[in-house]
Amino acid sequence: MARPAAIAASIRRDPAVAAVVLSLWVLLVLFVVYPLGMLLARSLYDHGVFTTAGILGILTDEHQLRAFWNSLVLGLLVGLTGTVLGFLFAFTATRCRLPRPVLTAIDASVLLPLVSPPFTTAIAMIFSIGPRGLITYNLLGLKTVTVYGMASTLSSEAVTYFPIAYLTLRPILAGIDSNLEGMALSLGASRWRVFRTVTLPLCIPGLANAFLLLFAASLADFATPLILAGNQFQVLPTQAYLQITGLFDLRGGAALSFMLLVPALCVFLLQRYWVSRRYYVTITGKGAGQAPFASVSAGARNALVVACVLVTLIISYFYALLLYASVVVALGANYTLTLAHYRVIFTEGLKAIRDTLVIAGLAMPLGGLYGILVGYLVTKKAFPGRRTMELVSMINYALPGTIVGIAYLIAFNDRPFVLTGTALIIIACYVFRYGPTGIRATVALLQQIDKSLEEASQSLGAGSGTTFRRITLPLILPAFFAGLGIVFIRSMTAISATIFLVSIGWTLITVRILENITELSLGPAAAFSVLVVAIVFVVIAAIGRVLRLLRAPGAAPVTSLLGG
Amino acid sequence: MSAVSSQSIGVKVEGVTKRYVHRVKGEIYAARDVVLDVRPGEFLTLLGPSGCGKTTVLRIIAGFEKPDAGRIRFDGEDVTELPANQRNIGFVFQNYALFPHLSVFENVAYGLRVRGLVQEDIGQRVSEVLALVGLAGYEPQFSGQLSGGEQQRVALARAIVIRPKVLLCDEPLSNLDAKLRVQMRHEIHELQRRLGITMVYVTHDQEEAMAVSDRIAVINQGGVVQEGTAQDLYYRPVSHFVATFVGRVNLVPGTVADVVAGKVTIAALGTVIAAPAALAGAARGDAVELLLRPEAIELVPDSRETTPLQATVTSRTFLGEKTEYLLQCGGHVLQAVRYNAGPRDVIPDGATVSLRLAEDAMTVLPRRESTMAPGAP
Repeated sequence: MARPAAIAASIRRDPAVAAVVLSLWVLLVLFVVYPLGMLLARSLYDHGVFTTAGILGILTDEHQLRAFWNSLVLGLLVGLTGTVLGFLFAFTATRCRLPRPVLTAIDASVLLPLVSPPFTTAIAMIFSIGPRGLITYNLLGLKTVTVYGMASTLSSEAVTYFPIAYLTLRPILAGIDSNLEGMALSLGASRWRVFRTVTLPLCIPGLANAFLLLFAASLADFATPLILAGNQFQVLPTQAYLQITGLFDLRGGAALSFMLLVPALCVFLLQRYWVSRRYYVTITGKGAGQAPFASVSAGARNALVVACVLVTLIISYFYALLLYASVVVALGANYTLTLAHYRVIFTEGLKAIRDTLVIAGLAMPLGGLYGILVGYLVTKKAFPGRRTMELVSMINYALPGTIVGIAYLIAFNDRPFVLTGTALIIIACYVFRYGPTGIRATVALLQQIDKSLEEASQSLGAGSGTTFRRITLPLILPAFFAGLGIVFIRSMTAISATIFLVSIGWTLITVRILENITELSLGPAAAFSVLVVAIVFVVIAAIGRVLRLLRAPGAAPVTSLLGG
Repeated sequence: MSAVSSQSIGVKVEGVTKRYVHRVKGEIYAARDVVLDVRPGEFLTLLGPSGCGKTTVLRIIAGFEKPDAGRIRFDGEDVTELPANQRNIGFVFQNYALFPHLSVFENVAYGLRVRGLVQEDIGQRVSEVLALVGLAGYEPQFSGQLSGGEQQRVALARAIVIRPKVLLCDEPLSNLDAKLRVQMRHEIHELQRRLGITMVYVTHDQEEAMAVSDRIAVINQGGVVQEGTAQDLYYRPVSHFVATFVGRVNLVPGTVADVVAGKVTIAALGTVIAAPAALAGAARGDAVELLLRPEAIELVPDSRETTPLQATVTSRTFLGEKTEYLLQCGGHVLQAVRYNAGPRDVIPDGATVSLRLAEDAMTVLPRRESTMAPGAP
């Protein structure tokens, strides 16, 4: 911990910075440290006495233990499948010299799952292979097939989350100097050998990172298993949810999320201290372009393209189905076109839409501001506890949403901070959970900005205030907008944390979708999903436009809105 | 020159020391008791190998870094505690550091806006200075659209438009290709003379340093090892380091053969050579090192005229106007260079030649174990 003398010195040196740092610490302690502490306390203390009974209860309960293992196995499989799919797409995109429109089409359909509410693919799966599924029932005439279970959960999660792997691996594959592969070829290696001995080894840290990201995403995913897992394949997040909403057992829920915390924390630490140090390829932001020679044979290229197109078609089919389901009376039974579902969501569901937009609209600027403030401070200012602040700011981002949601529920239900039932608790959850994306974008951008730019400004007579306003701020604005975008998208689509935080006063579209699904009114659920995707796309397009306007010719390219 | 006329000032660096803590090597000196005196309007170059501390000294003069000890004075006024933005300096960075989000006009206007000039004056001064560096009409462009040489000129224009008291350049030409580098160094030199601005310039390129500077300070391991004009450094190096860093040189070991009435003769290359000047404290038998510039070794191919120094040509590099020869002489390898009058003037490999040494281009230094003071003409 920093010495008091050092703190005093830094306050004297720059009182404005000290004030901002102090306020940020107050917020971080309140919305990150305190809830997590309360969660741990709730799972490890009983009336002030330390006890591991709650945890042991789970470890000895065969049912819960099975859920724990199921979660791990599912995460492992989703990680593997998604990484393979992501690598397939990233490799095809960077090595197969696809025409630009094809690339754009692939990109767009791959990004769809990332900007949709989490159950979109799950609903489409039910429509396709559910009890009255288009494919199983109508097309194949199968009457006894069941959609619920591990296989469908795995497929749905893999389709939903593999774009994360794609976004992680693509810049790495693009960043590998094509001369390295050319060199190996010129030394007489076959293309397959080059791939095996040069390309793949250079990607290993990226593959590991993609795997960890997918593992964490699956571990944290709550919506897909809730819909698709069925009662034979329980996983931890759904168990914790049912424990709390079904049995009103907050302690049991806390203990279950504590179990979830352990693997999630392992993933976080592995990523931070192991994978990040093993990157061979420096990501400069500028793509190295396509290889100047054919790095894959014609046959391999065709196979890769066909595989990608197939997956892309499956995704497109899911979304087309969703759109279709939203405009017919009942998919699988009555195919009469109707706008009734949209009428429902704009009358009964109007409150949820309004609440979600208000919350997302408020969380967006706050999250964006939080992102560049913390990002700027931890990169550019020396103050005691700087690294700790960076670490703490990442916690809510790294933890599964279920944990964060339960922690907030426990922390803000009682005095001294009673926030349950307010919009503030949901907004705070989004800001501190998704604002870190803005932090990372800011840090990445600031690291690209050479310190000589600020010194040049200084040498021309500008003080630190002017330099920040006229040089630094314009250069990190793209990170601010990227942060805004992510916070908005997630505020529109997230559910795992906030399902614990909604109330009569404030509800969310995603929660309404879940309610619709459980009530089997799939039409309105589909209509809600289409609406969310549409709103998110409009906002992304608008932010993309702003980013293009901001980007001066020759300035560093802006990192992808969804990168990370 | 209304755009950039500046009042040139003198810059004094007084005993500046800067230490860093290195992870492996421990405490290292980036600057060790550096003393420099730059006269008003003078072009002083800090020359040294990479990592020698020359950039640190420049950054301390600019105010980007604070020295651990020592003072910086601008015209006698102590500015050591003054931050860079209050020193009124111009700084040209190695990577130019053009603001990527601002146009050429706004880059150059930046310092003027900070100084609160009115729009008309800004417009006038920016276009004048851009014309001066040959970039009239480039105002609306962005740095990403410019070539390296153009970016360099914008950086220069941005630094001089504020009429700085002193212009500081940190290896400004190192990112340019060889031809452009030569052209730009002439332009910078020309500009500096026209403006009469005091300039401190950092480079590791000795040829560049000799081409532009009034005076050069050679820096090694954080300290100034020699200061003087290009000629001083070339013909009167005070140390082995300066001799080898500035230009090419043959190092020939020898011993003092005799000291008669202050005249020293040296046994080297199998013969006895008269030393160019008195060597203080030299005594017979002292080990010395003879520094011979390649062009100071005259090759006499004509066999009728012989000298005591005989050599054999072992290899040569024909470079058009001149030929570089490697010679075998008295058990030593010597480099020599000779301008070619014509094709028949090129001496073939294996030929035996006589050598004549230009005494005034020769330096004698004590060898490491000796304690003599250096001698020069």
